Amino acid sequence: MTLTTPTPHQNKGRTRKSRRSPYLTALTTARGRTGLLLVLLVALAGVLAPVLSGHAPTDQSGDTLLPPLSAGHPLGTDDLGRDLLSRVLYGIRADLGIIAVAVPLGAAAGCACALLAAVHPVVDTVVQRAFDLVLAFPGLILALAVTAVLGPGRTPVIVVIAVAEIPVFGRQLRAGILVQRGREYVAAARVGGTGRARLLTRHILPNATDPLIVQLAVSLTVAVFIEGAMSFLGVGVRPPTPTLGGVLSQSMPYLSQHPNYAAGPLLAVTALVLGLSLLAEALNREVRR
Amino acid sequence: MTRYLLKRLPSALLVLALASFVVFSILRLIPGDPASSLAGPDASAETVAAIRARLGLDEPLFTQYAHWVGDLVRGDLGPSYAIGGDTASLIGDGLAATAQLTLGALVLVVLIGGALGIAGATARRGWVRGAVRAVTTGALAVPPYVTGVLLVLVFAVALGVLPPGGHASFLDAPDLAVQYLLLPALCLALPSAAVLGRYLKDGIEHALAEDYVRTAKAAGVAPRRLLWRHAVPNALPPVVTLLGMQTGHLLGGAVLVEAIFAWPGLGRLAEQGLTRRDYPVVQDLLLLLVAVFVVVQLLTDLVYAWLDPRIRWE
Amino acid sequence: MTDPSPRPSLPDAPTRRTTLRAAGGGAALLGLGLAGCRSAVSDSKSAGAGGTSDAPRRGGTLDIAINADFTPALLFTQTGQSLQNRLVFNTLTRYDDSLRPQPELATSWTYAKDGRSITLRLRDDVTYHDGRKFTADDVVFAVRNLQNPLRAAQLRATALAVSGFEKRGDHELVLKLKHPVANLFDLFEFMIITDPDSVEQAVTGKKLNGTGPFKLAKWSPGTGLSLTRNADYWQPGRPYLDRVELRVVAQAEALLSSLRTGQSQLSYDVPGKTLASLTSDGTLRTKEYAVGGGAAYLGVNTTVKPLDDPTVRHALAWAVDRERLVKQTLGGYGFASAAPWPKSSPAYTEANRTHYTYDPGKARELLKSAGHSRLDLPLLHVNTPGETANAESVQYDLKQIGVHTTLEPTDPAVSQKKLISQGMPALWVQGHGFAQVQPSTLAVSAYPFNEAKNTSKYRSEEYTAIVRKAWTGTGLSGSASRALYQEISDVLLDAAFVIDLAVRGRVETASTKLHGVTINKFAYLNLDNAYLASGS
Repeated sequence: MTLTTPTPHQNKGRTRKSRRSPYLTALTTARGRTGLLLVLLVALAGVLAPVLSGHAPTDQSGDTLLPPLSAGHPLGTDDLGRDLLSRVLYGIRADLGIIAVAVPLGAAAGCACALLAAVHPVVDTVVQRAFDLVLAFPGLILALAVTAVLGPGRTPVIVVIAVAEIPVFGRQLRAGILVQRGREYVAAARVGGTGRARLLTRHILPNATDPLIVQLAVSLTVAVFIEGAMSFLGVGVRPPTPTLGGVLSQSMPYLSQHPNYAAGPLLAVTALVLGLSLLAEALNREVRR
Repeated sequence: MTRYLLKRLPSALLVLALASFVVFSILRLIPGDPASSLAGPDASAETVAAIRARLGLDEPLFTQYAHWVGDLVRGDLGPSYAIGGDTASLIGDGLAATAQLTLGALVLVVLIGGALGIAGATARRGWVRGAVRAVTTGALAVPPYVTGVLLVLVFAVALGVLPPGGHASFLDAPDLAVQYLLLPALCLALPSAAVLGRYLKDGIEHALAEDYVRTAKAAGVAPRRLLWRHAVPNALPPVVTLLGMQTGHLLGGAVLVEAIFAWPGLGRLAEQGLTRRDYPVVQDLLLLLVAVFVVVQLLTDLVYAWLDPRIRWE
Repeated sequence: MTDPSPRPSLPDAPTRRTTLRAAGGGAALLGLGLAGCRSAVSDSKSAGAGGTSDAPRRGGTLDIAINADFTPALLFTQTGQSLQNRLVFNTLTRYDDSLRPQPELATSWTYAKDGRSITLRLRDDVTYHDGRKFTADDVVFAVRNLQNPLRAAQLRATALAVSGFEKRGDHELVLKLKHPVANLFDLFEFMIITDPDSVEQAVTGKKLNGTGPFKLAKWSPGTGLSLTRNADYWQPGRPYLDRVELRVVAQAEALLSSLRTGQSQLSYDVPGKTLASLTSDGTLRTKEYAVGGGAAYLGVNTTVKPLDDPTVRHALAWAVDRERLVKQTLGGYGFASAAPWPKSSPAYTEANRTHYTYDPGKARELLKSAGHSRLDLPLLHVNTPGETANAESVQYDLKQIGVHTTLEPTDPAVSQKKLISQGMPALWVQGHGFAQVQPSTLAVSAYPFNEAKNTSKYRSEEYTAIVRKAWTGTGLSGSASRALYQEISDVLLDAAFVIDLAVRGRVETASTKLHGVTINKFAYLNLDNAYLASGS
């Protein structure tokens, strides 16, 4: 689940629609609209967390594991008597904050590497091997190692996600550049005396970005999973700050007796990931035609 | 061909050498050391010092690195620090268990993905297609650590038909081993099965819309024959490529699934080794993973070069 | 031209039949595993079924669910998983419920008048699993082995007090002591008698040669231990069981269901918070043992300002709601306590236990009297779920009196290193052991309480003097030793460098069919008299 899943499209015969619209077109399909709606809904819940919840997410009480619809606690409380609604809402907020920084960071770094690699074959080899190295290390080991070195907190989570995404974006862009280089317009521009850097940034890059936009949506879902997995391993965001993965992992021991504890964060994660993957799919379909 | 191999080999070896250095340094950078983790929670400084000396951790880092690489080149992996037993046999056992899990998952991916793809593409009833869509989307949207717990809840706690975790050897008790394997393999397989199902569905739908199929249909060829003789075979090639890619993902995902189901594979070994700072185990294991990756890359490049002579001369 | 992927409109496309057939094929394949010869779930459930009486019965396999594997390198160190120690090996003596030593490999013992030597008489009918006879030399080796710093034995200080050995034949031994030692029988309870020749193979897990009721059949790292009955065990007719399997089940939910489904019949690792759901089930029972190891405490680094001021430490001790901690994060097992002692300890008193209770008002006042209204301090904890919940709970209580803490979740290896190298930050939440045996053992063997060098960097001549007196004093009358123990408690409570929060033991969860199980003070499992009653 860490790579784009390009849908097989053999519809080469289709006419290319006007360049401007594929993203907008994607958002008007049923898939795109549902995805956008889900993501917006979840994001809104996170942004409005302080308004929507009547409790601070870290306020404890003696009311342990109250059932849903208890007075003042619509989703009930957790093992330390904290309001679950507020923990889920603030958890969404924390997750959004992390993935919104980490994924673009990884994408930018990956693209920078790919551009650098396009400059000279030797650099290309070095960058390629470096990507191999990162991809060869299991993500879990990377997470444990980074956290052990940097200490607990938000930063290691962001770093792990970003590092894991660098080779994904880097390889994608490199492949795109290679394809575009073979195109006639590039040869024409080169013959026309366009400089190498200009050719790369002005001509090739804009034409190689479409798959990257799709990858961005896919990587955002992967980032949510990575945050969750790190929380499960105890190397996530510093407690008591709630994250979706954190609340979910805390709820696991109570799953059979108090399934409502896990329901909130599970629903939020699923809605967010579902929305993002629907968006990715819609974009993929439009962009590739 | 040989020339191309000779050209590619040095860079592959370089990656390995570099990886050995990175692996060694990362472990030393991580705070905490094997001696104090071995010494127990109430150890005196004297105990820690004695253990450090015994493990050779009081030697200069360069000497330690040279020892490790030297032993490795001679094929001697030595004893583990903390887990117990020989590093080589620990990694060997782990490899076997992970391979079992990945293969089991692969079989399930093909079965479930195939069923989902065919059902999704050919079912006439809307609710069947809806269900297939819901299952594929759900399998992708729920994180595997949650799927794992849900599977345990349903199959082990509520129904009580499958064990919630553990492992039996295929050699000693194959019938029990399959049962231990089912839940972790299912947990691992679901996301990949969903991807595969979606691919297959699109492929079949596309093939069924091709002109020759329509012609064949018009000519009165039985629909079932159409599906199995024409649509499915035509949809297969990209699916097989995808399956190759997904195998890599399965291996990676095995780490987390092994942690959930106490499956004694490489992922759990890595986690155990890392939490106890068992340097030899983690070093050798990570290097092995890098080596596998490098070899696979090399083979892929060779195959491409064989297929496309231009690459050889590039 | 832009027509979307058309849905094939075959009038009679292969539909339900094909789908069903595909599904049927999958189910059949699954069924091969399920409907095969036996089930991994019911396999052990039916093991050893036979008559229907409750009388001791030979045979059967006991499956034990453990959450962490055996660690051979820590064979001689007290860890979370020491169950196998009394299965494969024996100890010299064992404590009864009121800490009176009972014979095991040592049949009787005599202290010298001055307390500087002890004469042990040993069983002469004991053989190792490989057939070799057990003699006094093995005991000499066992003591010397624990003196070796490599073995990291917590009771090394006590072993080091043994300065000489005098053998009288093969089965009588005099241990000469540098000074009288109050916790010698803690050592005898702790020290497993191993085979001197194979000890190096034992600490790598290759071979465990002992005198215990079960022999090691196989250790599979990460999976667990398989043990088989020792037919030549020195207790005639024992053990009843044929096989014992210690199986690693890492996840709490899985561990629980393995007990519920009868896949395992015994575990000591069920988390307190999930126990409630089990006891309602008639097929399982629970029992609490005071084996220490689970006391939760708030550690204080007394060199960090303003924690060097005892008043500030007292404020912390009054601030934590221990009852809530026990109820919420320990699942109601264990009890709130300001002192480290379990109820079975000779040092336990109700007054010590309730020396500090939950009184945030008083805590705020103390803090104010020390000149502080707000403190900002780091609080370290191990990053496992249970420890994290403890830390979160303590953090919240401290915040209410104006002590704001930043949690530092740390992996176990780093936390351990900081613990034993005095590298802890201002505050930390942890567990400690060794309060379950002779009270003086706590101060000489548990690092957080060590009088000479401890994690809190707390030094006091008074504490050292009392600890030494309690440790080297033997033959004291009951009331004299009680007075001495009270002095230790007084210092600990007043100095408050280790602020105890809750004392919990080990909870045994077992099938109601399983009888005769017990663990010793160091959580070594004793299955000499254990049997699985048949019937259901």
